[in-house]
Amino acid sequence: MHFSDLGVIALILALGFAAYTLLAAVLGAARAFPPLVTSAKRGGLAVMFCLLLASAALAISFLSHDFGVVYVADQSNRSMPWYFVAAAFYSGQEGSLLYWALMLSVFSSIFIFTSRRAPAALVPYVIATLMGIELFFVLTLVTVSSPFVRFPHAPADGAGLNPLLRDPGMLIHPPTLLMGFMSFSLPFAFAVAAMITGRLDSEWLRSIRRWTLAAWSIQTAGLLLGMWWSYHVLGWGGYWEWDPVENAALFPWLVSTAFLHSTMVQERRGMLKVWNLGLVIAAFALSIFGTFEVRSGLISSVHSFAYSPIGGYFLAFLCVVVLFSLGLFIFRLPKLRPEQEFDSVVSREGSFLLNNFLLVGITAATLWGTLFPLISQSFGHVSETVGAPFYNQVDGPIFVALLLAMGVGPLLAWRRTALHALWRNLLTPTLLAAACALILPLAGVRDVAANIGFTVCAFTAGAILYELWRGMRVRHKHGEPYPVALVLLIQRYRRRYGGYIVHLGLILLAVGIIGSHAFQQEHDANLTSGQAVTIGDYRLVFFGNADTTYPDVETIAAQLQVWHNGQLEDFIYPARNFYPNFQNEPASAISITTDNLTDLYVFLADWQGPSQASFRVFLNPLVPLIWCGGLLMLFGGIICWWPERRRRRIEYARELLSAHRQAIPPQTAAPIAAPAGEEEARA
Amino acid sequence: MKNSRRSLLLLLALLALVGAIWLYVLFVAPQPRTLDQQVDDVASQLKCPVCQHESVADSSAAIAQQMRQVIRQQLQSGRSEQQVLRYFADHYGDDILLTPPPQGFHLLAWLMPVALLLIGLGLVSFVLRDWRLKGRPRPATADDSFAELPLDDPELESYRAQLERELAEDDLLFG
Repeated sequence: MHFSDLGVIALILALGFAAYTLLAAVLGAARAFPPLVTSAKRGGLAVMFCLLLASAALAISFLSHDFGVVYVADQSNRSMPWYFVAAAFYSGQEGSLLYWALMLSVFSSIFIFTSRRAPAALVPYVIATLMGIELFFVLTLVTVSSPFVRFPHAPADGAGLNPLLRDPGMLIHPPTLLMGFMSFSLPFAFAVAAMITGRLDSEWLRSIRRWTLAAWSIQTAGLLLGMWWSYHVLGWGGYWEWDPVENAALFPWLVSTAFLHSTMVQERRGMLKVWNLGLVIAAFALSIFGTFEVRSGLISSVHSFAYSPIGGYFLAFLCVVVLFSLGLFIFRLPKLRPEQEFDSVVSREGSFLLNNFLLVGITAATLWGTLFPLISQSFGHVSETVGAPFYNQVDGPIFVALLLAMGVGPLLAWRRTALHALWRNLLTPTLLAAACALILPLAGVRDVAANIGFTVCAFTAGAILYELWRGMRVRHKHGEPYPVALVLLIQRYRRRYGGYIVHLGLILLAVGIIGSHAFQQEHDANLTSGQAVTIGDYRLVFFGNADTTYPDVETIAAQLQVWHNGQLEDFIYPARNFYPNFQNEPASAISITTDNLTDLYVFLADWQGPSQASFRVFLNPLVPLIWCGGLLMLFGGIICWWPERRRRRIEYARELLSAHRQAIPPQTAAPIAAPAGEEEARA
Repeated sequence: MKNSRRSLLLLLALLALVGAIWLYVLFVAPQPRTLDQQVDDVASQLKCPVCQHESVADSSAAIAQQMRQVIRQQLQSGRSEQQVLRYFADHYGDDILLTPPPQGFHLLAWLMPVALLLIGLGLVSFVLRDWRLKGRPRPATADDSFAELPLDDPELESYRAQLERELAEDDLLFG
């Protein structure tokens, strides 16, 4: 009896429990028999328990070096440090599927524990949908892609982990991204439940929005970590390659971003119901498509270590998902009439419509580019790649338009906006943008696209900061010092100001992308000891290579002196690491020195003996802003998501009421206080 | 109103100034591009033949490094970027280009996103018109009659202006 056998038993049990939970939830809801629903909830918890057991079995097999298990022998060996052995859990297909299934069951359990807050009629159907998805994953785990298959005779040692994956980023990037893909299941489950029961009310909207926000935040983190990993490990001086797999992770992110915006129109005006349901379903379908694309090897990609024949199963599942939701959709269409009519294009809802149009436009164009090689092939043409220049030229302008809309949108009122009021709000950011457009070309920024991009960023940042400033000023007039006013403002209206923080983060990210894209400097240098290479203000002097052998890795490191503006600044050691079993795939240890928002990025490309080496040296301006902007976006997302305590809401309503009665004259108080109460109650 | 006209004029003047400076700096007296930039530009449009979905500019493979050397030599010998790209396409076939050239069947790759955007735009405007024309029939309310009334009634117009002014002023936080 091995631990892997325990894993097999646990998986089969999980399969049984998932099937039971699905049936019990549907029957309990259809027959209106609450004990059966309660039983389904416990069944969901049992699924999580079984999957935890299976995962523990796999983890123990890894940590105890049980190379009788094929998956363990393929992904790890004795010389790897324990944390990479643990991370090898999700480095291959079987393990990452198990991780997906485990996370889905954990999220399902979180939902079950908090289900009292969700609309009661929806709960059983949400559970049933989640278990339907779970059933598919556990079924593939049990039948075609089991991590617990054993060799007849165990080998003495395993093959070890792919060198590209032996990086601290590997410990967190894949699990976060897989969790992100998985987490779009919850909004999807809510959408299915709403379509079955026909309840698409504001309560439903609140639940689905918070789950989508959670999924969005996780996916944002996953994408950022992916960019970080690519920048620090692949050695090409960039962070986003428009690789098919990267695009696949971007699709659900873009679509759910669109959903998070258009859902506000539904909340406020009762419009766009059909569209919103479509977006939720599309986000989930695209995340399954992403998993399928990574696994199938359908389109060539740098993530090619993950190919397997399991793609067909995912394609079938994708078809089932799309057909099932389409059927429900058509069935429910009569109920999805808009409640109010549209007044004016120059309004908040108009700007959300524009936002959705642009986001879905980027998604569609990118999806087209990703799939074009396949289409080209099927028409008998040579397999063409669609590379970064295509996406930069097609998506770039749409993205700039999106940034511009991001600045104007929040300044518009619902229903209709008087043009002169809009004009007054736009004046300050426009002046700021004009100043930016004047100064930048004179300061030496000579790239047209970069100038346009920076100007738009200045405009939008100006608009958002001006909004923040006006809000702070209103509170300051009521006697709060400015910093307190800022904190309280964000605390009171989390969704609005959390959104602004996300927008500011996105602007920082955009500035970083534009800067590093337009002003990257790159130089190839083949040096012998004592020679130097100059790039920008930097001069690098090469000393020699050192070869060091550790138990699990052999490292070849070059030593260089960094001179900046004639001053010795640092010593750097870009290196390559050789792992046993992967002698011709040396992993790279890139040296990145950040100074004044510019990264000096040195990659050891090749070497001959101790005194000759060739390098790729990059100067990447503004890249640190990308990481700062990303963190800010995550922070804003969490602020939007963070639950509000009911007690505080009541306190605040009371406070407002008394302020309304005493301090402020009723004429001016009414427009401020009334929507405030409303917004608080909704949040 | 007078105030806003003045600021509009100011803004137009500013725009003209920005436009003039941009025209001068970017087009009349453009900075010459360095050889490194040109090499990088050409290399980022070529596919590294031994890599998965990587450009010559990005790849660290030996062949990519050699190709960058060839690009540099050709540019130094006076060829234009287009000519260097043509040279590679002639020697390796069109498949070496990272992005399909916009001709023949591959024109579809470029036209489709534009077509999709246009279709989307058409769809949005159609939906908007549909919403405005066929919004759910509601019982006539004061709100409706307000919207229907002709606006030349001076009293009503002044109310409406006041309403919009107040909305604009108090709409700081909750627009």
